[in-house]
Amino acid sequence: MRVLLVEDEPELRVLVRDALARAGFAADAAEDLADAEEHLRQAAYDALVLDLGLPDGDGLSLLDRVRRGAVPGPAGLPVLVLTARDGPEERVAGLDAGADDYLVKPFHMPELVSRIRALLRRPSTLTGPILEAGNLGFDPAGRTATVAGKKLRMTAREAALLELLLRRAGRVVTRGAIEEGLYSFQTMLGSNAVEVLVHRLRRKLGEAGATAEVHTLRGVGYFLEAPE
Amino acid sequence: MRGRGAAPSLTFRLAWRLGALMLAAVVVAAVAVAWRAIATVRELDDTALHAEARAVAAHVVAGPDGTVRVALPAALAAQFANGDGQGLYLVFDREGRLLAGSDPEEAAAVKPFLPARGGLFQVPGAGVAGQAMIGWLERGTGPFGQFAVAVLQASEPREALIGTLLQEFLAAALWLLAPIALAAVAIAVLTLRSGLRPLREASEAATRVGPAHPGLRLPTARLTRELTPLVSAVNEALARLERGLEVQRRFSAEAAHALRTPLAVLMARLDALPEGVAEGAELKRDVERMARLVSQMLLMARLEGMPIEAAQEVELRGVAVEAISGLAPLAVRLGIDLALTEGGPVRVAGNRASLVLALSNLLENALAHAPAGSEVAVEVVPMSGGGGRIAVLDRGPGVAPAEAEAIFARFRRGARPAKGNGGSGAGTGAGTGAGLGLAIVAEIARQHGGSARAEAREGGGAVFVLELAREPERKLAAR
Repeated sequence: MRVLLVEDEPELRVLVRDALARAGFAADAAEDLADAEEHLRQAAYDALVLDLGLPDGDGLSLLDRVRRGAVPGPAGLPVLVLTARDGPEERVAGLDAGADDYLVKPFHMPELVSRIRALLRRPSTLTGPILEAGNLGFDPAGRTATVAGKKLRMTAREAALLELLLRRAGRVVTRGAIEEGLYSFQTMLGSNAVEVLVHRLRRKLGEAGATAEVHTLRGVGYFLEAPE
Repeated sequence: MRGRGAAPSLTFRLAWRLGALMLAAVVVAAVAVAWRAIATVRELDDTALHAEARAVAAHVVAGPDGTVRVALPAALAAQFANGDGQGLYLVFDREGRLLAGSDPEEAAAVKPFLPARGGLFQVPGAGVAGQAMIGWLERGTGPFGQFAVAVLQASEPREALIGTLLQEFLAAALWLLAPIALAAVAIAVLTLRSGLRPLREASEAATRVGPAHPGLRLPTARLTRELTPLVSAVNEALARLERGLEVQRRFSAEAAHALRTPLAVLMARLDALPEGVAEGAELKRDVERMARLVSQMLLMARLEGMPIEAAQEVELRGVAVEAISGLAPLAVRLGIDLALTEGGPVRVAGNRASLVLALSNLLENALAHAPAGSEVAVEVVPMSGGGGRIAVLDRGPGVAPAEAEAIFARFRRGARPAKGNGGSGAGTGAGTGAGLGLAIVAEIARQHGGSARAEAREGGGAVFVLELAREPERKLAAR
C-alpha cells in the first residue's frame, strides 16, 4: 500500500513517515501543495494523508482538486485529513469537502495507522479482500468466516450482519442501518428481529473463541471491536 | 402591522392623521360655501323685495277726491293677485293709517312689526294667514304727503329654497370631495409603503447576518434618501464586526497550530520509543492530558470570542446517536454500557456540531464517574413549552447539591472526583480533563438560549440536563 503524506512541519513529517514505514506502508512525504501534486503525478497512491495548513494554501483545495479529477489518480482516492483545527464546524467542513476521515493533532501513531487501514478496507477501494478483527476473518467473496483459521458455520443473514459490522469495525452500526442492509422492504420485521440475529451471531463468535466482540448500545445500535 | 400597541405603525399613523385632516377640510369647505350660499340667496331676496316696494311706491297715486290708491300695471298686479298671503303690499300714511293694500285685512297683523325707518323686517310665524313673512318698508313722498309702502312675502319658500340648495350642494360636494380625500390617503399610504419596502427587505437580510455569514450586507438598492444613512451605517458596523471576527478566527487558527504542532511532534516521538522504555506510558499520559487541555482552552476561547450560529433545525435523537457512537469504544474499554431511551424525534433550533460536542462532554463526564458494569443512559424528550431536553443519567457518586452549579464553572475539578484507578489514564481520555468540559457544555447551552444543570438521580448517581428551548423556525410552513 502506497501512502502519500502531505505535512509542512519538517520534524512531524519525518516522524510520521517513519511511523507509516514501520507499519508496513510505502510512505512518501510532500511538504506543500505543489510538492504533493508532483508526487501524485509521479506515482499511483492508495491513500493520501493531508495536513490542512500548508505554506502555499489550504489542504482542502488539494482535496477538492482530487475529488474533481483535476490531479492524476482516482477521484475516489481515500483521504485522511490531519489538522490542528478542531472546531465542530471545521470538522464538518472537512468532511463536507470530501475527506474520508479526520484526525486532529496531536494524535497517536497507532491511531493514524489503524484509521488508514480502515480507509483502505472500504468497499469502494476493493483492496484487502479479507476483513479481519482479532482472530476473526471474513471473506466477502466466499461469504465465509474463520476464527483462528477454523471455519465458522453461519446463515446467510448472519454472514451479512458480520460483514456489516466488520466493515465498520470499531464504529457504531445503527439498528436502522442493519435493518436497511439486511432486510428487503417486503420482509415483515419483528420488533426484535435484529436483536435475535445479533444474539445468535454473538453466541457463535463466543463459542468459536473469537477475540472480537459485538457490543450493544441500547437504543442506538451495535459495534464490533477486537482488542488491540 | 405588528405590535400596533407597543410601536405604532407609521402607515397607520399617516393614514389616520391624513384622513382626519381630509375630513376636517371637507367640513370647513362645506360650511364656508353653504354660509356664502345662504347669504347670497338672502341678499337676492332682499333686493327683489326692495325693488318691488319701490315699484309699488312709484304707482301710488291720489285721486281727485283725495283718496289714495295704487294703480299697478297688470304685470306687477298679478304678483299680488291671489290673496293667499304669498305676496302682499300695504300702503300706510304718515301716521300709520292704512291707505290702500292688496289685502287690507292683513294690515293689523303686520303693523306692529313695521320698522321705524324702513328697510327689511320680519313678521314672526302665524302673523299673516298663518305663516311667517318677510317684508321691505319703503318710504316715499307723493302729492298727498309722506307715505310708506310695505311689500311682504311668505318667508317659508325662501327657507325651503335654501334648504334645497344646501342639500343639493352638499351632496354634490361630498360625492366629489370624498373620493379625492380617499385617493389622497391611499396615495400617501402607498408612497410610504413602497418607500419603506427596501427597509423591510433590509430587515429580512439582517435576520440572516450572523457569525456563519459575516460577509453579508444589507441591500441598499432602491432605498429612499432618508433611509440610506441608517442602512449604510449598519453595513459599516457589520464590516467592522467582520474584521473583528476575522482577526479572532485567524488568531484562533494560528494559536491552535502553534500549540498543537509541537504536541504532535512530542507525541510522535513518544510513540516511536521502543517498547518497554521506562516511564513511556506516563509520558504518553502526560502529553495526552496536555493535548486535551490545549484543545479545551482553544475551544472555550473560540466559543467566547466567536458566537456559534445556532439557527439550524437540529434533531436531538440524531445528536444523541452521534455522541453515543463516538464514545462507544471508550465505554466498552471502561466496561460501561451506553443506552439511548426510545422516543420520537425532537427538533430544536441550534448548531448540530456544537450540540454533539456538548453531549459528548456530558457523556465523557459520566463515563469518568460511573462504576464499571453500570449503565450510562441518555434521554431525549420534548419539553412541554417547545424545544427539547437531553439528560445523561449515571450511577456514579452523584453531585452534592452545593456543587451542582459550581461544577459548570471553568477550571473546576475535584469536586466530583473521577475514579482514581491509575490504569484508566492513558488512552481513555476520560477523567483527565482540564475542568473545562462542563464549562464548555454550559457555554454551548447559553448560546442556544438554553441551560445546563446537574441534579441528584433517584436511586443514586447524577443526572446532567441540557435544556434547549428554541424551536426551529418553520420558514416554509409559515409562507
